[in-house]
Amino acid sequence: MFGCIHIPDFPVQAALLREPKAIPVALLDGPESLLKVVACNSSARSAGIFTGMTKSQAEICGVTLIKRIQEHEDMAQAELIDAAYNFSPCIEVTSPGTIIIDLNGSERLLGTGKTIAQLILGEVTKRGLESNVSIAANPDTAHYAARGFKGITIIDPQEETKRLSTLPVETLGLESDVLHVLHAWGIRDFKSLAALPSIELTERLGQYGLHLQRLASGAVMRELVPAALPASFQESTELEEPIELLESLAFVLNRLLEQLMECLIDRSLATNHIEIELTLEVHSDRDVNAPVCCSALTTYQRTVKLPVPTQDGKVLLKLAQLDLAAHPPHAPVNKIKIEAIPARIRFTQAGLFQPLAPEPAKLEITMARIRAVVGEADSQNRNLVGFPALLDSYRPDHFQVVPPSVKQGNSAEPSTRLALRRFRPVIPARVEVNAEQAPVWIGFSRWKARVTCASGPWRGGGQWWDAAGEWLREEWDINLTLDGHTALYRIFRDLATRNWFVEGMYD
Amino acid sequence: MSSIAVIRSQVERRIPGALTIYERPAPEAFPTGIPVIDRQTGGIPKGALTQICAPVGITSGRTSLLFSLLAQVTAKEQFCALVDASDCFDPESADAVELCLSRLLWVRCSHHAMKSVEQAFKSADILIQNGGFGVIAIDLGNVDEKLIRKIPLTTWFRFARVMEALPTALVILLPYPAAQSCAALTLNLAGSARWSGTDAASHTRLISNVEFNVEIGRTRTKKPVQSASNNFTVRPQWA
Repeated sequence: MFGCIHIPDFPVQAALLREPKAIPVALLDGPESLLKVVACNSSARSAGIFTGMTKSQAEICGVTLIKRIQEHEDMAQAELIDAAYNFSPCIEVTSPGTIIIDLNGSERLLGTGKTIAQLILGEVTKRGLESNVSIAANPDTAHYAARGFKGITIIDPQEETKRLSTLPVETLGLESDVLHVLHAWGIRDFKSLAALPSIELTERLGQYGLHLQRLASGAVMRELVPAALPASFQESTELEEPIELLESLAFVLNRLLEQLMECLIDRSLATNHIEIELTLEVHSDRDVNAPVCCSALTTYQRTVKLPVPTQDGKVLLKLAQLDLAAHPPHAPVNKIKIEAIPARIRFTQAGLFQPLAPEPAKLEITMARIRAVVGEADSQNRNLVGFPALLDSYRPDHFQVVPPSVKQGNSAEPSTRLALRRFRPVIPARVEVNAEQAPVWIGFSRWKARVTCASGPWRGGGQWWDAAGEWLREEWDINLTLDGHTALYRIFRDLATRNWFVEGMYD
Repeated sequence: MSSIAVIRSQVERRIPGALTIYERPAPEAFPTGIPVIDRQTGGIPKGALTQICAPVGITSGRTSLLFSLLAQVTAKEQFCALVDASDCFDPESADAVELCLSRLLWVRCSHHAMKSVEQAFKSADILIQNGGFGVIAIDLGNVDEKLIRKIPLTTWFRFARVMEALPTALVILLPYPAAQSCAALTLNLAGSARWSGTDAASHTRLISNVEFNVEIGRTRTKKPVQSASNNFTVRPQWA
């Protein structure tokens, strides 16, 4: 079973999406010097408007003339697609304003064909569009029925030829030369076309003619061309008054995120990446000495990422709030746009014997909250909160701190070894050396002690090709007695500066 | 049959087990991977606070013990968190004991305007609220004793109380046993190093192994409470 939604005069309805539709309206398009009517509604047609009239001719008829804007049609089409996705995940966008829905298997969920048609009509009407809805056993029959008949049309199987018979052949959307031939033969409606002898029709119009005849008799069965998923989902709102407080901004963000999540859930999708674009109201006249404000300053962008896709708007809202609190916009917000990059839902199987692990989305919020306490990154631009990862390098203390990942860790048997406690940054030390250049006394921080045993020098170096990154040093492991206790330290001498430093303590 | 036996049988018929002594189940614990400590303490208890104490600046084995514990827990595919008040965690040493770094959330303090101890406790509080970690470790081992003494006792009580309901072990490295009775287990550590080739030239000498002394200052898991002292040896990566 297939359903079809058709919006008559779609460009006009799209232009009047939030306006009253009773007024006679004609849409103009083309170069400014030669604007022509490209679409009009039934009231305008009654007033004498037809497609192809010039602007000056249309003005005489006393109808409202509106310039065609593609964005309005895109928005209306998006609304229509949203409405269709409420009934099936398999839809075909046949043309602007026409959508075919695969309703196979929906009867048990939604009811009979008539009930489904009423639900679809109600959903589309709720979104501000007047539509024709049809239900039939094949997609093309449903399509032509929706184009040809007003309101709801239900065509039972085996009745296609009979029900479509009254439709004019123009409903097929034929090329003008084919239409001209059919008119010359006296073929005006589907019934006449279906009654033509097939062999003779094929001799004159080829396979195309036979296909048209089968369409007219409602005998074509085909697969739907599924609508491509959008690369991103967007929601935006323009505010009457600019928002200065983050708390007030959170209310608007919450509403937009809820709408986005609804769209994603309708398509069985989730997101792990949202981009927030805030248009700021920057008053460039506040500082007369400042350079002229460029357009880049008026938009403020933040990105929120999650390690795993989620459908929970609250998680994304909390992350967005924490991110904006850490990086607040520098001016009041005038317009908010949120874009969600869709991702497939992550399915996980919970188990009784599954090891304890923090929930990924919750962990991301936790990390953001901790970042608000400890900060984002150190002087070397390494994250202060995250999971340590060693880098493929011989440079001491060379690591990075990365966000959580879903990859599995190593499964080697743990062991116990002597650990090093590093000092970051390294502590400068005063070292006395003997004739063999081995350290004998050391002073650092509040300690001054004799070196009872030393092991070294262990020379290391690298990145000699890069003056800024080059390192060359001699390491020593030393044994001290501090307050009567043994203390093992790792010290090194930077061979570039000849200075001594304490790198860490074995513990 | 005596009257007491009659009453007992009648009560037990109505309420089975009413007169039998309830044996509290042994608290669950994580093994540290160091047999001496596991044998003496039963491991690091879950749902409780454990303090590992050693004076600042000396080699005591507390970090080796912590890494060994974290390696054991992450090997069981559990997540751990390390709140590092003085940013002294060395990922290379941790990797050498096969600690799974992708399961260790590392919070590095002391790079912010707020005091590192305050940051550490706030971060630990957030981590405990989040849940899902096997071990949450707070490393205050390099923090000056004077700063630790300023931590109010109520803070330790609060942490101990919050942990009771969680299947998580809270381990704190401290310069002295500041948590006092709030800790379910207190370990005091100190160490001494053994060198190989002490008479030879400096480039032929190496730390061959380090012997640590662990004194169990307090435990709730093993009754009666008694102070016990044991040694364990740890070898460096190159030995």
